[in-house]
Amino acid sequence: MTASNQMGGINRLPAPRGLLIDRSKQITFTFEGHSFTGYAGDTVASALAANDAWMISRSFKYHRPRGVLTMIGQDANTLVQIGDEPNCLADKRAIEPDMAIEGQNYIGTLEADRGRMVELVKKFLPVGFYYKTFHEKRDSWRFWEPIVRAMAGLGKIDLKADFHHSYYDKKYLFADVAVIGGGPAGLAAALQAAETGAEVILVEESPQLGGSLNYARFDETGDGGSRTSGELASRVRLQPNITVMTNAICSGWFADNWLPVIQGNRFHKLRVKAVVLATGSIEQPAVFRNNDLPGIMMGSAAQRLIHLYGVRPGKRAVILTANRDGYGQALDLLEAGIEVAAVIDLRPTPPQDTMTKAVQRAGIEIRTGHAIAEAMHIGQKKHVSGVSVAPIIGEGELGKAVAEYACDTVLMSVGYSPAGQLLHHAGTKFGYDTRSHMFKPEAVPAHVFAAGSVNNTFDLSAVLADGRYAGWAAAKDAGFERGSELAPPVERGAEEQTHPWPIFPHAKGMEFVDFDEDLKIEDLINGIHDGYDSVELLKRYSTVGMGPSQGKHSAVAAVRIVSRETGMDLRNMSVTTQRPPYTPEKFGHLAGRIFDPERRTAMHHRHLELGAQMMPAGLWWRPGYYGAKADRDQIIRDEVNNVRNNVGLIDVSTLGGLDVRGPDAAEFLNRMYTFTYTKLQVGRSRYLLMTDQTGVITDDGVACRFHDEHFYVTATTSGVDGVYRQMLQWNAQWRLDVDVANVTAAYAGVNIAGPKSREVLARVCHDIDLSPEGFPYLGVRMGTVAGIPARLMRVGFVGELGYEIHVPASYGEALWDALMAAGGLNGIRPFGVEAQRVLRLEKGHIIVSQDTDGLTNAYEADMPWAVAKSKPFHVGGRSAEIQLKNGLTRKLVGFTLKNADDPCPEECHLVLKGSAIVGRVTSAVHSPSLKKVVGLAYVHPDDAQPGSTFDIKVHGGRIIQGTVVPIPFFDPENKRQEM
Amino acid sequence: MNALPKTVPNGLQRRSFLYRQLQQAGAEFAEVNGGAVAIRYGNNEAVELDRAKAMGIADLSVLPRTGFKGTGTVEWLQTQGLTIGQESNVAYRQSGGEWAARLAPTEIFLVDSLAGSGQLIDRLNQSWAWGSEKPRKAIGYPTPRQDSHAWFMVTGQHAPDMFAKICGIDFRLHKFAVGQIAQTSIAKMSGIIIRTDLGTTPAYHLLADIASADYLWPAVQDAMKEFNGGPVGLNALRRLEG
Amino acid sequence: MKIMNCPLNGPRNISEFVWGGEVSIMPDPKSVSDLEWGEYCFIENNTAGVVREWWCHVPTSYWFIAERNTVTDEIVRTYPAGEIFNKRVEFAKQSEDKK
Repeated sequence: MTASNQMGGINRLPAPRGLLIDRSKQITFTFEGHSFTGYAGDTVASALAANDAWMISRSFKYHRPRGVLTMIGQDANTLVQIGDEPNCLADKRAIEPDMAIEGQNYIGTLEADRGRMVELVKKFLPVGFYYKTFHEKRDSWRFWEPIVRAMAGLGKIDLKADFHHSYYDKKYLFADVAVIGGGPAGLAAALQAAETGAEVILVEESPQLGGSLNYARFDETGDGGSRTSGELASRVRLQPNITVMTNAICSGWFADNWLPVIQGNRFHKLRVKAVVLATGSIEQPAVFRNNDLPGIMMGSAAQRLIHLYGVRPGKRAVILTANRDGYGQALDLLEAGIEVAAVIDLRPTPPQDTMTKAVQRAGIEIRTGHAIAEAMHIGQKKHVSGVSVAPIIGEGELGKAVAEYACDTVLMSVGYSPAGQLLHHAGTKFGYDTRSHMFKPEAVPAHVFAAGSVNNTFDLSAVLADGRYAGWAAAKDAGFERGSELAPPVERGAEEQTHPWPIFPHAKGMEFVDFDEDLKIEDLINGIHDGYDSVELLKRYSTVGMGPSQGKHSAVAAVRIVSRETGMDLRNMSVTTQRPPYTPEKFGHLAGRIFDPERRTAMHHRHLELGAQMMPAGLWWRPGYYGAKADRDQIIRDEVNNVRNNVGLIDVSTLGGLDVRGPDAAEFLNRMYTFTYTKLQVGRSRYLLMTDQTGVITDDGVACRFHDEHFYVTATTSGVDGVYRQMLQWNAQWRLDVDVANVTAAYAGVNIAGPKSREVLARVCHDIDLSPEGFPYLGVRMGTVAGIPARLMRVGFVGELGYEIHVPASYGEALWDALMAAGGLNGIRPFGVEAQRVLRLEKGHIIVSQDTDGLTNAYEADMPWAVAKSKPFHVGGRSAEIQLKNGLTRKLVGFTLKNADDPCPEECHLVLKGSAIVGRVTSAVHSPSLKKVVGLAYVHPDDAQPGSTFDIKVHGGRIIQGTVVPIPFFDPENKRQEM
Repeated sequence: MNALPKTVPNGLQRRSFLYRQLQQAGAEFAEVNGGAVAIRYGNNEAVELDRAKAMGIADLSVLPRTGFKGTGTVEWLQTQGLTIGQESNVAYRQSGGEWAARLAPTEIFLVDSLAGSGQLIDRLNQSWAWGSEKPRKAIGYPTPRQDSHAWFMVTGQHAPDMFAKICGIDFRLHKFAVGQIAQTSIAKMSGIIIRTDLGTTPAYHLLADIASADYLWPAVQDAMKEFNGGPVGLNALRRLEG
Repeated sequence: MKIMNCPLNGPRNISEFVWGGEVSIMPDPKSVSDLEWGEYCFIENNTAGVVREWWCHVPTSYWFIAERNTVTDEIVRTYPAGEIFNKRVEFAKQSEDKK
């Protein structure tokens, strides 16, 4: 052994073994505080194994030592903590320089875990522990919680850590055909689909294409796999219409062939017309006493260690097998210089072929019709030290042990189960095949194709043929036809791969069916006898298959056990439903790069420059008030007073705007809104109240008639998109000759309001007669302001002389600048949404969705004046008739406080009648203009007359009295706005 | 050009919602259509041209555009001399380099050429008037497209790859042809993408809610980062067009 | 993610669409009883099988009709609303007809 080999670890095998590692690049990392050196391309697990460190973690419940099981990330044995990242798969994660890795699930150290004593009290932790403990005796949680929390759970999250957010993002990918799995079937499928003319994306979870070809043994000489792999992979590389993604995992199948593919920090959303699922199969463990000891692994895991990473899995091995692959493993071990103590074959008379004969020729002891009865261990179960072997005398029944073999490695090669997760997601029906003793896909949905060992095909030439057929069929399904028609293989070689019953109970137990959840044969049997006698129920009760590996190794064994215990026929059973994701996904992948659109008005930056406190309104940002938060209340009062006494400017760009045009424009508004618009004069505006079909108020605004056939309709900031959509949906049915355009964002708008607003506006508006007669209240005009084309409206929302000015959005900032400059002499100041809310409340104007709710109708809102009764139809009109007839259960009224010293109620403080809740306060404020509290509230109809009093329950449960008063509170004759 | 006084965005009445971000990125402006357009960033025009060929984004928001929709729109525009084909979601190039994007059977979004003279657009906006004949002839209605949408142009060979990060449409060159339109969700906003290559460089108009311009501009540039993309001026686009 | 075929924009991710309720024909508000009107407003058929639904493509605000199987979630067909609603609806005339 050369020096450099020793640097890579004492178990490192010489080149050419080690397909994935780069021996020229050494990487040093720490595990449990000890320093280790591996090679670039090593996973954490392979690097540890190379250094003879086999214990990687401790199990979930009993804290038993666990080590390498699959070397492909299918198990939870190798979950480790890397820095602050818990639950990393040690057999998938590549090592990086200075990585600090820790085991998981122990108290103290991994080597000497104090939690391992749990195993001694295992009889107090029966199957269905949670059900039994907490269902009847609920108080027991208090006792158990700290214990369970300390013992269970995976990994550690440091809540005090300075969480850094890595950059994750998402990307769409498109192709005609996706092939998931880059093993022999996937490679053949991708090539065939591409040759048939389709654009293909080939997704492989490992760093290299080839799958089992890169590590499994297909023949006596052992070079057939790598030769085929090399050939296929080079053909794939030469095919221009195949895109290969390695280190990429497809974690689910979603409707219409939408496939999430995770690669690094990127989550791809792959959309294809057809998909070939060549996801292979998962080697299944044998179930025997102590089958979870470090050193006991899948046969394929040993082959992966040898061929992919150049790591010797041990020094002396026993192989438990029921198929040809076990013999291939024996030859692999021998060639790597590892002693093979014996091959134990479950089958009484295994078929002979060149590989079995080669093993015989090598003089290795082969025991047929035998099984491992028990694995022995050294040093507190830290590693396997040997096995005892017994003859099989019935299904799962062993005779007396006849031999013991000392060994440090046990390979399990007793069968496979299709890696059918993605097929399951797609809705494939699986059935149990009694010849191969495996589940196999029987009814695959449209546009989905299965190939290779997931499709019950194992003989290499059949696998390649199956791949070619699926690739051809998928390309055809995607609309491509080139070359001649292909057929699926007839002989698939699926027999003699999987043993029907590799499960051997032991008198002393500890035969693990589910490594994640530490479930033993007796746990499942007890669960069935507790009454959970279907696979789905047993899963929930016992948690079999619910751990991180999601039943990849336990589901089939669980089905077999249920079948035997209940007498159900396996052919009528299936494994539990598989749902996405196939492998754990990080929240970062699901979140991706966060897209959080927001909307800003043309004057947004001016507001910031003026010190505005911005507040959200839907996606929009609006200025709340201008100045420091500490002075909020005073600022709002000052802004209100400046509007009442002087002139203020507010940005109303967020207000919805719709251009409704056409010969039927007035008729359309008559139908959409409660009022009538047919006779509205051009140059005038009118209030709009919208209800839905059930008569509930949904929006309000103003209709401005600029032409016989043109109404400029305003809507609320948050309501306009819904209003627009409703309008289009209704007119898709009515087919009136009208066109509706949502022009909200296209217009910036301001409201210049206050007694001096006319004077200020006159300085910059020269083409409109601004006199009270020339441009009266509720009038609308088109003209220019500061040379900018503008729509002007005299509105009264804040109850002062005022003009709303709407201009094309790109001119918005220039308009603001011009008005602020023009108003400088008059002390113009901007006011925000908060001041506007006070101003409108002083006038008693409602805000839809603040003063109304999901049930408010026009009569409850005390707006019968807005409901036209003479027109033939409006949306909600029929319901309004019924509402009027049925009478009211509550009514919106204006109120002040009976006792002026009482506190101002807040929104949603309750209105009571006796002890009954009859309504609520919707808006209330201490009015700067009236120097008293004014508000709106729903009260009982009997209490709605001016002068009536009603009870309000305010903070602390205190009851105060409100007095109903007429609205508007301020300037009841509306003289100020009509100046 | 260097002899002219420097154009300052807030010295003009028409302003891109983005002008502060453009200034921060080092833009130099020129007046087009009563507003300031970023014509270049920094002084190395060759570098900027290379960027435009690989992965660039330009803000054309002040350049002329307009729209018409409603019954009779296409017929009226055709009488005004525009060439508009039958298919919706296709943009039709006009003789002056303008593109008439048919968003729906009765809806046209018209963007000017990179010259930005606004000749055709001004003429159409001025020609449209309420008819006085009875019954009034249906000629559609003008829509305020100059101000409803911010207008970016995304250029370069990496554009399809970049779009795949913010949008679910397949923009690969052989799948999304010149003149094709996608009205879709872009970085979680509604928007319109129109492919109109500049010479041999793939180029896409990106039109989206003007009120979200401040959000979309950096969002797209974030997606461009891995391609070393960034802002490019109108000059670079004009040079690509040749 | 499902794909829906918009009659205007072609096949798109379902996330670009919003659902607008089942297509139901409004009873004549002039002649319908209060009870029947209430049922029209509030009662959904919740059919197991193929239903006709309103869908809106959000980026274009385009409303159309989809026939969808509520059992399999298969979208059978999509088409413009004009296939069903092909003539102008007059409320005034309807009530006059009845007089």
